[in-house]
Amino acid sequence: MVEIGHFALVLALALGLVQMTVPLIGARLRDERMMAVAGPVTLAGFVFTALSFAILTMAYARSDFSLQNVWENSHSLKPMLYKITGVWGNHEGSMLLWVFILTFFGALVAIFGRNLPTTLRATVLAVQGSVGVAFFLFILITSNPFTRLSPAPVEGRDLNPILQDIGLAIHPPLLYLGYVGFSVSFAFSVAALIEGRIDAAWARWVRPWTLVAWVFLTGGIAMGSYWAYYELGWGGFWFWDPVENASFMPWLAGTALLHSAIVMEKRSALKIWTLLLAILTFSLSLLGTFLVRSGVLTSVHAFAADPSRGVFILCILMLFIGGSLALFALRASSLTQGGLFQPISREGALVLNNLFLTTATATVFIGTLYPLLVEALSGDKISVGPPFFNLTFIPLMVPLLVLVPFGPLLAWKRGDALAAAQRLMFAFAAALAAVLVTAFLIDGSSAIAALGVGLAIWLMIGALTDLAVKAGLGNVEPSVAWRRFIGLPRSVFGTALAHLGLGLTVLGLVGAICFGTESVLTMKPEQITELSGKRVRFDNVVPVQGPNYNDERAHFSLLGPAGEVRREIWSSRRFYPVRQMNTTEAGIATLGFSQLYISIGETTESGLVVRLWWKPFVTLIWGGGLVMMAGGTLSLLDRRLRVGAPARRSRKGAVKPAVEAA
Amino acid sequence: MLFWVIAAVLTLGASLAVLLPLAARPKSESSDTAHDLEVYRDQLSELDRDLDRGLIQPSEAEQARAEIGRRILRLSAARQEQAGGERSFGLRLIPVIAVLAVPLVSWAVYARLGSPDIPSQPLSERLARNPADSTVDELVARAESHLAANPSDGRGWEVLAPIYMRMQRFSDSARAYDNAIRLLGSNADRQSGLGEALVNAAGGRIAGDARAAFLAALEHDPSDARSQFFLAMASAQDGRMEDAVASWKRMRDSLPEGSPWRGAAGQALAQAGLEMAERGPGPGQEEVEAATAMSEQDRAEMIAGMVERLDERLRENPQDGEGWKQLIRSHLVLGDANKARDVLARAVEALGADTEQAKAVIAFAASNGLKMTEQVQ
Repeated sequence: MVEIGHFALVLALALGLVQMTVPLIGARLRDERMMAVAGPVTLAGFVFTALSFAILTMAYARSDFSLQNVWENSHSLKPMLYKITGVWGNHEGSMLLWVFILTFFGALVAIFGRNLPTTLRATVLAVQGSVGVAFFLFILITSNPFTRLSPAPVEGRDLNPILQDIGLAIHPPLLYLGYVGFSVSFAFSVAALIEGRIDAAWARWVRPWTLVAWVFLTGGIAMGSYWAYYELGWGGFWFWDPVENASFMPWLAGTALLHSAIVMEKRSALKIWTLLLAILTFSLSLLGTFLVRSGVLTSVHAFAADPSRGVFILCILMLFIGGSLALFALRASSLTQGGLFQPISREGALVLNNLFLTTATATVFIGTLYPLLVEALSGDKISVGPPFFNLTFIPLMVPLLVLVPFGPLLAWKRGDALAAAQRLMFAFAAALAAVLVTAFLIDGSSAIAALGVGLAIWLMIGALTDLAVKAGLGNVEPSVAWRRFIGLPRSVFGTALAHLGLGLTVLGLVGAICFGTESVLTMKPEQITELSGKRVRFDNVVPVQGPNYNDERAHFSLLGPAGEVRREIWSSRRFYPVRQMNTTEAGIATLGFSQLYISIGETTESGLVVRLWWKPFVTLIWGGGLVMMAGGTLSLLDRRLRVGAPARRSRKGAVKPAVEAA
Repeated sequence: MLFWVIAAVLTLGASLAVLLPLAARPKSESSDTAHDLEVYRDQLSELDRDLDRGLIQPSEAEQARAEIGRRILRLSAARQEQAGGERSFGLRLIPVIAVLAVPLVSWAVYARLGSPDIPSQPLSERLARNPADSTVDELVARAESHLAANPSDGRGWEVLAPIYMRMQRFSDSARAYDNAIRLLGSNADRQSGLGEALVNAAGGRIAGDARAAFLAALEHDPSDARSQFFLAMASAQDGRMEDAVASWKRMRDSLPEGSPWRGAAGQALAQAGLEMAERGPGPGQEEVEAATAMSEQDRAEMIAGMVERLDERLRENPQDGEGWKQLIRSHLVLGDANKARDVLARAVEALGADTEQAKAVIAFAASNGLKMTEQVQ
């Protein structure tokens, strides 16, 4: 059975070769039959990749140690969930997941793209296929998960204990759905360049794919951040670590792409810029894959010592980024230009958004790659840590966030900034009130904290103002406004929700960073400590035997005012004997949106080392991410995104009367 | 065989995915412009909705409508040129190549990379096979999975414990003995086995837990040879060499001819005799420095342990010139030239008198003022 998986992977490569050539030639020659190959071949490629992935998963589930990859990363005593997530908890398996998701998106384009212009569809699938071929070759040549061991060992070496967590089940698949989702926008862009034609239908087609990828990437980043927060045991949620930046850069560029695609669809402007952004976004996804997968981050020298994988990904990188940018340079001038527009207008605001977001992407890019460059050239290991990003990224983001509520309120073509400002008076007043309340009543010591809270409130109320204005609240009777509100396009709700989510995340960040408190002490059983008014009692430590680890579990009680136990908190240190490694499992009590976070250290003579954090509003950081995802999903459900296809006209009639009634 | 059948079926399926569309009759092409037209029509209707809602002024709406109208006009002006006509021979070859490529590429690549002869080996199936066909590792794994399911099977632990010991998995062995004692009760054999496992796990040091196990074994059976031997060794490690020698002598004289512990006792005696002649083994320089910070007793223990470890290592692995030099230097630093000379003799014997390594060690010793002499004993 295992070898069938291997064979299916090879077949998928062969199909990918057909997929990247025949439809492309067919599209050039306008040969219907050759273009028609694209769909079935893409679907078959997906089926075989899925089969291969399923068989590898099966081998993990059944502890088949005749596969080197399973032997290196699994253990027969591991719980079943971690056996399965272990499939992508390692290099080879995660690359297979990557390419599996790539073929999945290819199949989606093949299925839902039946009403695309035939040449565009064939070219898009061919470009998508070429990315697939590159990664199939990478997997088969340098990181084959189907390498066999004979004779097979009887026990595996276990998965890195840090990865034995529910987070591994969710984070990488979401992240890869995001990364790889951008390959569709990329394929559409390259196809537009090859065809030398770009039009409104193109913009409508690219936007939902970008949205899908963006929604998943948002979820992946938020999930990864929360995972790092509770698993690493020192209370941080974002470290400006290169691995995090690798996923953050495509997110920033993808956010810019989302916004510029709106302009392109509505105003037929920014066409070339949108193409470039789509190419850059996927390039950054590829760069992220390179950074994480080549080992270059651990050390430039480790990379140089065993360069086969890194060099291969570097070649893929140069081929696709260099190739697409060269194509862009050659063809961009031949594409039709869009119209000009006023600076104060919806499209002007979106251009501003793009400027800020791309500049921010560039700062993160520099902060991430500069240390690698220095290490490669001089051999010195330097670290560009949070100070760099705090000084560059945050000042870039703050003006953007201040401007966000204006964007949706400005009209297309010719906007009125003053009118928009008047409509935002309420939001401004609320923000001002929040600043004053924070400064005088809660914590006057830090002006930044007060302003941060104000900014968050401004974003949130601003987003809601947009909805209220569009519903006509205040101008018309409430019942009419309500019906209008219900009848608003879903993309309007999507915009408002996404901006609201942004505000929530800002509030969470300000709360956790500016108002958080922490304390480190050694505690003896029954000792009580106090942090920001929360009284915590350390009860005892209990040893617990897990399936493949030994647990030292400390029990804490959060006490109420009368000394009663309000909440029990378990915080533990685990020892995994197979890997001889320790992990921490932080004890977290969620109170409203805030969290009490306890992590334990060694037991010393004077007691157990305990670190406590009080993190006000911290859950909003990730909750805001979820709200953004919800906004993106709502936007995706907007009826208009599904239009653009002659075949679907009949459906429109059914929806229209309801809207007109409003 | 089954594999090849499935592989052939899969290849056929993949080839059909290429072949069928190429063989089908082409459908008539819908105009590319129709798609754009649809988008523009939709934009017009959205404009009407926005106007209804009062989001834009009627004049703006009129302008926008005009702009969209212009786009529609431009669209109908742009007619797509249709390609067609006869294909050249080379182009007609492309579909043929494409169809053939799938089986050729896949079988060629798989032939290079695959291992079709190795069957899949899920752990549960391997453990369910006839024990006679299994390797030792598999038998152990089978016993382990049995014990993971029935952790209270004391007999199982007892059988597994000495097997672990032979496989050099000492801490597992100690755990198995521990479980056997817990479940089946203590006896001399289990206790002394536990002791030996603990000693090996600790790299030869006989710590408190091992000692307790040996003493417990002797309580059950005062004549248990393994416990006597290791307790004597413990005395030697404590520096009470006379006690150790006395017990080993007793063992050598009282144990029957075939007992392995009799031989072991004899060997230990020979070694001890060597050490008895020259009291005071010694450690390396930096450890001497570290030792000055310790109490008198701790220091003596540490030094003894150090040199013993090095000595032990060289006994197991004598082909180590640097190790011998280090041991000689340790004795010299402690001012114990006779001891150093013994070691030099052993080194030369172990390395072979004429080898480069031996010469290097002799030269090293000579540079420290030490000459090769006859064996002291």
